[in-house]
Amino acid sequence: MAVPKRKMSRASTRMRRAQWKATAATLVKSVDANGKVSYSLPHRAKVVEDSAGTPLFMEYKGRKVADV
Amino acid sequence: MPTPTKGPRLGGGPAHERLMLANMSVSLFTHKSIKTTETKAKRLRPVAERLITFAKRGDLHARRRALSILRNKEAVHILFAEIAPLVAEREGGYTRITKLGYRKGDNAPLAQIELVLEPVNKKPAKAKPAKAEAPKAAAPVAAEVVEEVVVDEVTEEVVVDAAGEAEVETVVEETVVEVAEEAPAAEATEEEAK
Repeated sequence: MAVPKRKMSRASTRMRRAQWKATAATLVKSVDANGKVSYSLPHRAKVVEDSAGTPLFMEYKGRKVADV
Repeated sequence: MPTPTKGPRLGGGPAHERLMLANMSVSLFTHKSIKTTETKAKRLRPVAERLITFAKRGDLHARRRALSILRNKEAVHILFAEIAPLVAEREGGYTRITKLGYRKGDNAPLAQIELVLEPVNKKPAKAKPAKAEAPKAAAPVAAEVVEEVVVDEVTEEVVVDAAGEAEVETVVEETVVEVAEEAPAAEATEEEAK
């Protein structure tokens, strides 16, 4: 089995990890009738919540598609 | 005929994939809607739609061909007796895939595949370009109305609470004379919200 010959330096470890970035998710903004703003993933069913924030069901294109 | 799938088979090999697709089809026909990963749902769609085409033909040969794939007599009976009459008017597109969220645990993208059993409402044939645009314009409006209704039901309480609090704050700041004027306004907004 191949094994590393030398210890990897702190600098090269850090240079590798510096390239390891998170990307921001694309989100769709939707505003309710009373101005409550919510964000959801595009082309995916959205979780509908009641006023207390309890998830009720999943909705897509105005139709209930699945339970949470 | 469905197009051949590209890439590796589901499961361990071709036989495993056939079994998985058959089992998923049985679940789909018995429960009308199943939740799986996106990849499996996309692979299941052509298999299930082909089986529904057999069911629409409805003769003994078609039933035997369906049985050779499904190997579950109950599911084939449901398919031929219950599902076939409901999709008799529909010309393809018997299933609907809706993407859901990501699974907790392995972050797999989930989707729901369901049978489209609603009665067909056909679009009017292409008589005039103006008429073709009219139903398209009407459809989104109807969808929005449904969505708004749902949203209103959900957030009705929020509206009332927020409106009430806002009115109370303004009343406190302003003079007593204006309180009398604000009170009917508050009631009006609440009624509108309802």
